[in-house]
Amino acid sequence: MKPLRRLVTLCRGDTDRIAPWLDEHEPRWLLTCILTIIVGSALYGGVVGLWRAPLQAVYTAIKMPLLIFLTCGFNALLNGLLAQVLGSGLSFRQTSLAILMSFTIVSLMLAALSPVALFISLNTPGPTSAARDAGHSITLLCTVLFIAYAGVVANLRLLRLMERRCETRSAARRVFWSWLAGNLFLGAQLSMVLRPFFGMPDMAVHFLSDDPLRGNFYEAVFKAIRRLLH
Amino acid sequence: MNTPTNPPNPQPAASPENPQPPAAPALAQNARLGTILDALLKRPVVLIHSLCEAKPSRHWLLLALFAVPAFALYGLLMGSFSGGAQFLAASAKVSGGTLLSALICLPSLYIFACLTGADVSLRGLAGVLFAALALTGLLLLGFAPVAWVFSQSTDSIAFIGTLHLLFWTIAVWFGLRLFSHMANAMRVPERTHLHVWMAIFVLVCLQMTTALRPILGTSEHWLPKEKKFFLAHWMENLSGAAATNIER
Repeated sequence: MKPLRRLVTLCRGDTDRIAPWLDEHEPRWLLTCILTIIVGSALYGGVVGLWRAPLQAVYTAIKMPLLIFLTCGFNALLNGLLAQVLGSGLSFRQTSLAILMSFTIVSLMLAALSPVALFISLNTPGPTSAARDAGHSITLLCTVLFIAYAGVVANLRLLRLMERRCETRSAARRVFWSWLAGNLFLGAQLSMVLRPFFGMPDMAVHFLSDDPLRGNFYEAVFKAIRRLLH
Repeated sequence: MNTPTNPPNPQPAASPENPQPPAAPALAQNARLGTILDALLKRPVVLIHSLCEAKPSRHWLLLALFAVPAFALYGLLMGSFSGGAQFLAASAKVSGGTLLSALICLPSLYIFACLTGADVSLRGLAGVLFAALALTGLLLLGFAPVAWVFSQSTDSIAFIGTLHLLFWTIAVWFGLRLFSHMANAMRVPERTHLHVWMAIFVLVCLQMTTALRPILGTSEHWLPKEKKFFLAHWMENLSGAAATNIER
């Protein structure tokens, strides 16, 4: 099957056809997934960053695929171990490919939504206008909604694939939830390390913040809750 | 990606959602515009089948050639509220804006349709999208005389704007219903993604009316200098804060 046709099949979620791809040893499908993630997420990242400045668009186009690959890379060993411990019967390579396939769906959806995001970006008040806070809020809200929607859809596809591949439904669910928890836990922190994605109106354009590894996502959330309570 | 696909069943089982008679004849390849519009109104599944089948037909082109002037004509009527240069400006903005909205949303339509599991090509989906636009345009033409009467009898931009929005909402609802017919014809069980796409399309169209303003009112400029979210723009107009603002 041609790579583009495979991507369409992947979106359709035809698990009977998709499940055997995990057993292939040829790198062609893996490379297709990687290329799709790079192109799709970079396209969407570029559009999101464009709201702030063209340079921010370039930075975000680099950082979006980087965020995905860093999350997959740092968690690859853990995800592979969990898959085996929890009885999925999947190897490390198969685990990584399954997770990459779900990120491929995310990237395809984000690429398809890029024209809509671009239209929104071009029509919201820019960072230099008086209504820049409204523009920032609209951009933030759209980005969160689009990414959340794509993420939910891709993970549901991954769950169906796991249910098809694992011996029992409960094993599939255990493995799926453990992957999701791990990827969300690390992904949230990595997104904090790689910030800003579309920047604040008053801040200069940066590839990374001044001290990217300082502080963590969960501390920030904890402090925010504590501020609210006091 | 635009590869031939299995055509949807043109004669799906009867259901409350599907008004299609089970033994409707297929549309001829060289059907005239009148026949295609007749099918669009009375036998939408037959038209959808001809648009989605592997063998390319010129039906989508005829639908597009009908939809663009239909929106232009309705835009002309919207421009009659202010008159002068707005006749042409509104006409061009309504037809061009609708076409642009459709093009912006076409890639997401394809991916979202794939997510539902529908086996349909990009060409087929573009054809159904043009059919939806043609049906919307056709219904707007039906509303045109009523809209014209009101546009000549009021100076309130809030009233006439709301009226046009109401007519547009009804027409778009019927237009987008074609996608439900398509899903019926293809026996797509999961339609959430199509509904999400419809919401995105409606939002893009609504924002387009603000991005291309003024459509009803007048301005010294062809396009606005200030970017605005459509809800903020509407609230300004409805609250009367923009009563003296010529950029409506």
